[in-house]
Amino acid sequence: MKKFTREAVLVLIAIPVLLWTLLPIYHIFLFSISTKDSAFSGALWPKQPTLHNFEIIARQQHFYLHHFWVQIWNSLWIAVAVGVITLAVATCAAFAISRLKVRGGRAVMNLALFTYFIPAAFLAIPMYKAMGAYGLLNSRWSLVLAMVTLAAPYAIWVLKQASDKLPFELDEAARIDGATPLQLFRLVYLPLMTPSLVAIGTYALLLAWNEYLYGYLLLSHERTITLAVALGHFIAADDSPWELLMATGLVYALPPAAIYYAFRRYMVSGLTSGAVKA
Amino acid sequence: MASVAFNEVKKDFGKTKVLHGISLDISDGEFMVLVGPSGCGKSTLLRMLAGLEDITAGSIAIDGRVVNDVESKDRDIAMVFQSYALYPHMNVRDNMGFSLRLRNEKKTLIEERVRNAARILNLESYLERYPRELSGGQRQRVAMGRAIVRDPKVFLFDEPLSNLDAKLRVAMRSEIKALHQRLKTTTVYVTHDQVEAMTMADRIAVMNDGRIEQLGEPLELYDRPANLFVAQFIGSPAMNVFAGIFRNGSVEALGARWPSAGKASENQAVKYGIRPEHLALAADGIPAVVEVVEPMGAETECLVKVHDQPLVVTTHGRIAAGPGDRVFLRPDAGHSHLFDAATGQRL
Repeated sequence: MKKFTREAVLVLIAIPVLLWTLLPIYHIFLFSISTKDSAFSGALWPKQPTLHNFEIIARQQHFYLHHFWVQIWNSLWIAVAVGVITLAVATCAAFAISRLKVRGGRAVMNLALFTYFIPAAFLAIPMYKAMGAYGLLNSRWSLVLAMVTLAAPYAIWVLKQASDKLPFELDEAARIDGATPLQLFRLVYLPLMTPSLVAIGTYALLLAWNEYLYGYLLLSHERTITLAVALGHFIAADDSPWELLMATGLVYALPPAAIYYAFRRYMVSGLTSGAVKA
Repeated sequence: MASVAFNEVKKDFGKTKVLHGISLDISDGEFMVLVGPSGCGKSTLLRMLAGLEDITAGSIAIDGRVVNDVESKDRDIAMVFQSYALYPHMNVRDNMGFSLRLRNEKKTLIEERVRNAARILNLESYLERYPRELSGGQRQRVAMGRAIVRDPKVFLFDEPLSNLDAKLRVAMRSEIKALHQRLKTTTVYVTHDQVEAMTMADRIAVMNDGRIEQLGEPLELYDRPANLFVAQFIGSPAMNVFAGIFRNGSVEALGARWPSAGKASENQAVKYGIRPEHLALAADGIPAVVEVVEPMGAETECLVKVHDQPLVVTTHGRIAAGPGDRVFLRPDAGHSHLFDAATGQRL
């Protein structure tokens, strides 16, 4: 009976939360299959659902969508680059600090933790200045470097915690077996860290994919901006094409959903690993 | 195969001194067991030999070559860890062949060595399995197989049987011993279990508090412990020890006279030691009261009290006495031990 009550309470909480989450998504979906005229009709389902909006997007047949394919390519390129570079930086750092016990490792970890206290928006202007000085403004690399900077501390922190959980005897056994640190890294460490690496890579990738502020600041040309920034342009006009904005938004949301779904097994175990001291 | 020599080896962790100058020569093909309570420094000594810990002072030589500054991988040793330390993402075959693969040995040679080791250890049908699919004993054998394929100069074992249940431990004990008799590789084996030490070792080094208390063959340690620590550490159940005064060739203690083979000065304060199997229950002798009787079939362990001093008596066969009964003890003088009460050294 007690168990039943507890589950009933959980369900009662879960239903509103689920609705709260799903309603906006439903709203986006509704808009994206409606014509411009019927979009604001307030109906729960459009009278004549249409995929026309997606056709317009694919053919880039609207003023705001003239560079759609380039922009989504930018988003993808930047997100993948951020994922890969963050992963490379954080994995090496975590391995060096956790397994090789390099000097100053603790300091790096403390600094990484310290960066949590600095809001990303706080660093936006200095970052803009820095990228300007490097001559990188309006280049994809500016956003890639900025996002790697933001993602790396958390990535290092989580990977270091996850690394600490690998039994140290494995390293010792490998050392006695004749492994150099690089062989240890490649043949023992990386295979065992795969779940955490997938989780952190995905985290960095999605962080970059979803980024708006830095994209807006560092990229300005229509052919260099990411889709997130391009979406922002939609509402700059008086008469915004909401149905196209929503349809594009839906397209924009699909890759992260797919990635998350594909790696969901790793996400749960990976992101919580290192979160608590088991 | 090789000899191993520790020469005044010291180890500090910061300000904590863990080893205070250990000197120990292990000869070619010998099975040396380092035994002692946890924290005595035995594992540290082994890890220093393995190259996993730095040497604070002194030197370690393998086959006459000082290896203080030689990397683990170049010392030609193989180690079996308490936790097995198998690579979870590799199957048994790859686990065992890993060291050879790192040396870029030919595939045919690796395969041959792995097959050979698997045959010795009865692992042939498990070569494709992953560590998580093996039982504790099988994992332990894989860990040994990983050491065997290397054909190293020295085998190091760090409490390899601690994670196994009692029955398996006994079985693996004989397997390791048989393996050593077959391969004749110099072996250094660390354990806190004196039974393991007694049954497996050619020689035992009993360690305590960063020092070697006594070095010798198992029965030598059992029959002539050099001090109180060794006397009480080796043997199960432990030796009975109590304080007394040496007078007229015997020891006065617990209101009785205990015959002694050892000699001390007249009126010297001593510790008298006698093993449970050297105390017999007899028709007359030193009176005692039975507290607990533990029949174990082949022998019976009996806890008695003499003047509030608990003593353990082991007898072959069975005894009629029960708790509360008065009995008489007859110590076997030839097997008694005398220790200096102040220093704990054998007299």
